[in-house]
Amino acid sequence: MTKHRFAALLASTFLASAATAATLDIAVDTAPAGLDPHLITAFNSVLIVQGNIYQGLTDIDPGLAVQPGLATSWDISEDGLTYTFHLASGVTFHDGSTFDAEDAAASLRRVQSPETASPLASRISPVVGIEVVDPLTLKLTLDAPFAPLLSSLAGIAMVPAEMETDKEALQMAPDGTGPFKFADWTPNGYIALEAFDGYRDGKPQIDEVKFHFVPEAATRQIGLVSGEYDMLPAVDPATALQLQGQPGVTLEQTRDLAYTLIGMNVTDPALADPKVREAVNLLLNRDEIIAGALFGAGVPAGPLSPALTEWALPTSDFSCYTPDVDKAKALIAESGVALPIKLRMVVLPRQDAKDIAQIAQQQLAAGGIEVELINQEIGDFVQSWKNSDFGMFVSANGGNPDPDQYFYRTFYTGGSTNVFKYSDARVDDLLDTGRNKTDMAERKAAYDELQVKLACEGPIAHIAYANLTTAVGPKLHGFVIHPMGRLSSLKDAVLDD
Amino acid sequence: MTPKFLLGRLIDLAFVMFGVSILVFLMIRLIPGDAVMIMLGANTEITPDRVAELEHRLGLDLPMPVQYAHWIGGALRGDFGTSIWTGRPVTEEIASAIGPTFELTFLAVLVGAGLSIPIGAFMAQARGRGAEVAVRVGAIAGLTIPSFWLGIVSILFVSKLMPGVSMLGYVPFSEDPLGNLQRMVLPVFALCLPMLANLSRLVRSAMLDALGQDYIRTAKAKGAGRRRVVYRHALRNALIPFVTSVGVSVGYLLGGAIVVEQVFAIPGLGRLVLGAISERNYPLVQATILTVTFAFVLVNFIVDLLYATIDPRVTR
Repeated sequence: MTKHRFAALLASTFLASAATAATLDIAVDTAPAGLDPHLITAFNSVLIVQGNIYQGLTDIDPGLAVQPGLATSWDISEDGLTYTFHLASGVTFHDGSTFDAEDAAASLRRVQSPETASPLASRISPVVGIEVVDPLTLKLTLDAPFAPLLSSLAGIAMVPAEMETDKEALQMAPDGTGPFKFADWTPNGYIALEAFDGYRDGKPQIDEVKFHFVPEAATRQIGLVSGEYDMLPAVDPATALQLQGQPGVTLEQTRDLAYTLIGMNVTDPALADPKVREAVNLLLNRDEIIAGALFGAGVPAGPLSPALTEWALPTSDFSCYTPDVDKAKALIAESGVALPIKLRMVVLPRQDAKDIAQIAQQQLAAGGIEVELINQEIGDFVQSWKNSDFGMFVSANGGNPDPDQYFYRTFYTGGSTNVFKYSDARVDDLLDTGRNKTDMAERKAAYDELQVKLACEGPIAHIAYANLTTAVGPKLHGFVIHPMGRLSSLKDAVLDD
Repeated sequence: MTPKFLLGRLIDLAFVMFGVSILVFLMIRLIPGDAVMIMLGANTEITPDRVAELEHRLGLDLPMPVQYAHWIGGALRGDFGTSIWTGRPVTEEIASAIGPTFELTFLAVLVGAGLSIPIGAFMAQARGRGAEVAVRVGAIAGLTIPSFWLGIVSILFVSKLMPGVSMLGYVPFSEDPLGNLQRMVLPVFALCLPMLANLSRLVRSAMLDALGQDYIRTAKAKGAGRRRVVYRHALRNALIPFVTSVGVSVGYLLGGAIVVEQVFAIPGLGRLVLGAISERNYPLVQATILTVTFAFVLVNFIVDLLYATIDPRVTR
């Protein structure tokens, strides 16, 4: 690595005068609406911002383990209620000011403030005390032990203290500590980032990163093959198949944290019965769905992604994952729900979701569950989802590195994204255990039981974890794919002329 | 051209704009899904308080007629509001997107209308010959091939033929004139082909009509050259339907530009309005559509004036 870097450095010294700035051209499908790291939720906004412009106190590596970020180390008290973070020294923001504990404290307060209305607020809701001990030491006090804290902090960007009450400025003009700083934004054209001289590990080799907004999939694909673009960060399965074997194109693949799912509304008289939900799982043939809708590029999904190696149970542990139509029919008969069961299934406007919906429709019909597919435009879909206006839905969710971050808000009674209206006392108990115990073995036992219970009778039939595919052109070297879609490895990557 | 004629046309124009403003205002609000829900997204903490706060901030909690009155009142004073998502004035967003679309449409009209006259004239004169049949087949193909398909195929073709030539995206003319024109070649081609085909066929039939008239025979008899007969005598009379058609075509071009901008990744008005619709960015959708409508109405206003110049009988 060092040798490689030195050679690149040498080369760049000699070529510097002759070559123009090395620009990495990345094509993405949609333009972000804003870049404030505490407000954005869209995949492409996070892709541009997280790890490039901004960093958190901690970091998540491609193996999904927590690593030091702007905090180089931390101490956790015996009772798990106090975290003391030791911050890296000599870190500067892109505007030239120095990063210290005041900035860190202000950033966390900004996320927690109702004024900001940040979607990240729940990630650090147990934090009740934020104290600046000295310029490089930050102490956080919790009201209850909260195991996912370290991994949650990785997603909370550190911004300058004066931004604490400013809701507008960062949307259009980001200012972070990351390896690249914001340079230019042409609406619907591109966003350009340039290498930051003052980055704490040294200026990146790549001078400029341009995110081009190219809505048409075919255009992105041709642009990569012709060398116009150097990278397509998230390629759909059909395009990946077509790019396979094209000269100069490398496909980097990892198991995606995001997954496709079929949600079930528990207030529906039929779906209220856990037996019927188990029957749905027995009727679904996930292998068939993956072959048909994802071109085989994926694995059957349990409630947790296999990328979470420490937590996820293999799907062979879930009895209902072996398709069995007779058993499903028997379960429905046992439940006393009359056949046929008629349901409205709303579908996320994305090709894979539409394909999954059609295959699932046939599979469910075999057991007497008749679903009417309703294709909705995105605004419409979000509305139905939010108002629980569905019998079933097919959608895709982004994943999280800690089970609590996904499970708690989704399955806890009254949870913020529990649109299924699911409520189960045992599940709530286990979720509290998983959240409040810092002992790994205790947490693991709770989440093991949860996975088995949720897999078969939960309000979500998890369908598949697809492969996350990033297509890379011949000029870029040293890119490492990250299961969360982060491009943080660009700081060490090299670009040929 | 009388002032009365001019004034009448201007009043028509104002009526059209007013009608469109109401239509646009209603349409974007009547489709399901609203800005606040889309802004809050599917994965965030949605509380009724937050929804109410956002609605209030955006002025969406007021009754619709009041919202319309606010908007049209501001618009008449040149204030179209701010984009819901970026908080920038809508006029600024439109100003930054109008350049590429204007250039694209202008070049497409120039190439489409410019080439259609010689091609149409050629088809009229060489009627039935092999070359003319070939051109006619080409014209029908041009009319029927959708521009998004043509766009993608032409990118594919050129990228194989000349690898390394940048043809996607947009660079302002003022920054890099050559790069700008290079990136315009394919989109202009894809955009103007249907128009070129349509206009050539029109010029051909109008010319055939004109060439059969008595005054052409007279012109020939008095010894005028072939070129002079075709371009001076026949063409002028064939021009009226042609000018009408160009005016109408501009509307199609603005519609086609949405598709072509999408395919070639050009940051123009089409991309702006598509994005704005899916975000339910009400002020931006309203102002963009009004801008495009205004451009279309204006072009047709100019066409009306041109008629009067070409054929003074129109104003009577």
